[in-house]
Amino acid sequence: MDPRDPQQLVDYVGSLDCIHCGLCLNTCPTYRLTGVESSSPRGRIHMMRALAEGAIEADADYADELDFCLLCRNCETVCPSGVQFGHLMEHARGALEPRRDRTAFQRLGRRVGFDLLLRDRGALRFVAVVGRAAQRAGLVGLAARIAGPAGHGLRDAPSIPPASERTRLPVFTPALGARRGAVALLEGCVMPELLGATNRATVRVLAACGFDVHVSRQHVCCGSLHAHNGEPAGARALAVETIAAFDALVDEAGAPLPLVVNSAGCGSHLKELAHAVPGEPDHERRAQALSRRTLDLCEFLARGAGAEGLAALIANVRARDTVRVTWDDPCHLLHGQRIRREPRDILRRVPGVELVEMEAAESCCGSAGIYSLLRPDDATRILDPKLEALRATGASVLVTANPGCQLQWAAGIRRAGVGVRVLHVAEVIDEFVLSAASRPGA
Amino acid sequence: MDARVVEELRAILGHSGVLAERARRVTYESDGLAFARHVPELVILPRDTRETAAAMRILHTHGIPIVPRGAGTGLSGGATPVAGGVVIGTARMRDVLEIDAENRCARVQAGVVNVDLTHAAAEHGLFYAPDPSSQKACTIGGNVGENSGGPHCFRYGSTTRHVLGLVIVLPDGEVLDLSRPAVDAQGYDLVGLFVGSEGLFGIATEITVALLPVPPVTVTMLALFRDLDAACDAVSDLIAARLEPSAIEILDELTIEAVESSVLAAGYPKGVKAVMLVEAEGSEAEVAATVDAIEPLLVARGAFDVRRARDEAERARLWAGRKGAYGAMGRVAPDLYVCDAVVPRTKLRELVRQTIAICHARGLRIANVFHAGDGNLHPNIPYDRRNAEELRRVLEAGDEILKACIAAGGSLTGEHGVGLEKIGAMEWMFTGPDLDAQCRVRDAWDPLRRMNPGKLLPVHACRETRTRDPRGGTR
Repeated sequence: MDPRDPQQLVDYVGSLDCIHCGLCLNTCPTYRLTGVESSSPRGRIHMMRALAEGAIEADADYADELDFCLLCRNCETVCPSGVQFGHLMEHARGALEPRRDRTAFQRLGRRVGFDLLLRDRGALRFVAVVGRAAQRAGLVGLAARIAGPAGHGLRDAPSIPPASERTRLPVFTPALGARRGAVALLEGCVMPELLGATNRATVRVLAACGFDVHVSRQHVCCGSLHAHNGEPAGARALAVETIAAFDALVDEAGAPLPLVVNSAGCGSHLKELAHAVPGEPDHERRAQALSRRTLDLCEFLARGAGAEGLAALIANVRARDTVRVTWDDPCHLLHGQRIRREPRDILRRVPGVELVEMEAAESCCGSAGIYSLLRPDDATRILDPKLEALRATGASVLVTANPGCQLQWAAGIRRAGVGVRVLHVAEVIDEFVLSAASRPGA
Repeated sequence: MDARVVEELRAILGHSGVLAERARRVTYESDGLAFARHVPELVILPRDTRETAAAMRILHTHGIPIVPRGAGTGLSGGATPVAGGVVIGTARMRDVLEIDAENRCARVQAGVVNVDLTHAAAEHGLFYAPDPSSQKACTIGGNVGENSGGPHCFRYGSTTRHVLGLVIVLPDGEVLDLSRPAVDAQGYDLVGLFVGSEGLFGIATEITVALLPVPPVTVTMLALFRDLDAACDAVSDLIAARLEPSAIEILDELTIEAVESSVLAAGYPKGVKAVMLVEAEGSEAEVAATVDAIEPLLVARGAFDVRRARDEAERARLWAGRKGAYGAMGRVAPDLYVCDAVVPRTKLRELVRQTIAICHARGLRIANVFHAGDGNLHPNIPYDRRNAEELRRVLEAGDEILKACIAAGGSLTGEHGVGLEKIGAMEWMFTGPDLDAQCRVRDAWDPLRRMNPGKLLPVHACRETRTRDPRGGTR
């Protein structure tokens, strides 16, 4: 590969799938925000093609438009031509990264983040300990002020829970009651440090539905953040680790267990994992096999044995009172995995839940992985209209199914002073079904 | 672009309203007519009439050409800055300013997306009738510029029938307010003149449109044919029988295949040679009578299956498939040339056959998807613009198709406009004096010819008028 060849900087052949019809424009959060063509999917593809054909340079403006994209993939849901925009963008970011003008500090930050933190539980734990101490001592506000505009992300960063909350999941949790099967669960890289409660609720729900839950001890990160943010080498290495870790979790007959994922971003990446190991037939084959047995928690609980387990649980529960709840589609669930009906069906079946639809539930909340940390002001501008939509629902609980979305909403709700709780689907079932039937196995 | 001009414009529009960087400008080099590209020197995005007027005064002072642009979904190159200059985009003018349900009209900014207006009106039981296939992206301002149509214009008429008033910024930055109620209009109908002027007269920044009551009953029928000729004949019969459905559309086999392999799969059966979508709207009795009269006509012409959409969801799917047909053709080739011509509706079969023959003779594929009820053909020719020889054959086929339509008593454009694409064809349709007259109308609005230069009117025709004494003879 010749790095000077502009055609290598983008997926040129993929970019030709766009026929310039414009049906993506109005669904793109950054286009709606700015009205700027180059901040739309059609415009970004146009730039990629122009770059490959030598009409523009891979300069700072081009890089900025790539960075501005949330990778929400809403455009893919509406594209009649079937453009794989997420893939085009990941490719373009990855190819551009080595040629980018980054300061030494930025480079160091990326290496620490992508090569150290997301690959090592010990390092993640260390950051959580230090981060929590800094948050409690009020040092974060100070650091944010010193960092200036770039510090907004620090100030809005999620509050790190106490050590008692930051525990790993057990490697094995047995099914409760009638056993319906066994699953593997993706514990996630930052989940144990930031959203351990969501993970524990997920395990309780799966066990209560009749499934043994296996968790990989050594697995850390699936690499989705790497793939989205121009780090294909890291994504590749983590894909290989992920394949090995979950191929090792097998049932009595030695067949690999289905992998349940409670983070839509990771699930979406795992379902397309072969993209991360291009040109390696053996890994591609194993990645595809893993993709086929990967299920989002919402999917798992809405179909087959999972749905039966949930139905059996719900049958025992009477609601005392009704809570108005609204659902916000995680982009990588709706647009990445095309899962729309399942979470709504689940929520409607939960006793005591009144589900109301929120305007623009299908558009991005601005979390977008680490986007809200890298571009906090843009992330806030994306979320603001959705906060209004949330107010209009009158809901007291907002439900979603992705850690980034949970944290982004929680931060936005705190800022706006709206009295709404943010829960993961698993937490809704945990609270409205399991707790109601006197929580087992907690 | 002169740095001082950029500075002056930034002072009015703010930093984010002026795009000077090449990487960003390059995305404005074309609309849906992909082979014609020209990178603008600058792109500006005003937020309202005041900003547009202030910016246009500056551009007037410096004598800089102006190209208006909505969402860039046009298919005739109308928004392509062939003569350089500044593109003025309306994408930041997206407010529905007022819905006056009692008077059944709405006042919107030019950049409001067509479907957003329809959604806003729906809350009041009203709708905006013109519905171009690009309605999920295209803007009301762009619709005004091109006098856009859409499937339902068969019954309701194209954009010009629905525009009640305009606020226009003239080329020198003066604001012309023509937003009085239509009944009050005196003198020339300048609003009527402006609609369809393709950006040559000025920029409409605010538009008052009529809204219609949502009909109580809508029935959408899908008729399947084994033969495209038969479908065309059925349309001619429907028209002759004086039936009044609200839309009659035909999709051919290649189009059906493309749509059905896309996210917009509508449930059109694969393997049929043509499907016809017919919609009837009105009171229950009216719709029942229309549908009952239509069905036997279709069957008599060989429709082997006539279905009705069972619910709103199916109806929406059938239409989404039709309206996404252009985009779905991206599965066939990187680019698509969408011809746009109108023929007498008694000659549909003959002309559709000719379009196919013309393309096949040049080794080109063709997909026909069209507003059959209006006689508005859209032969779609897939191509790859990187192949110059193929592009030449595509353009040649397009010319032949247009000539055949004109010879049959049709016209150059149904709804896409002349723009850049058909500027040469204007001379097949109009005589020298016709074109002179049109140039003089243009000069009344824009004597310096800075608005959208190189579009609609052939340049040499205009040069001739310039040297001709308006009273006769030569200067």
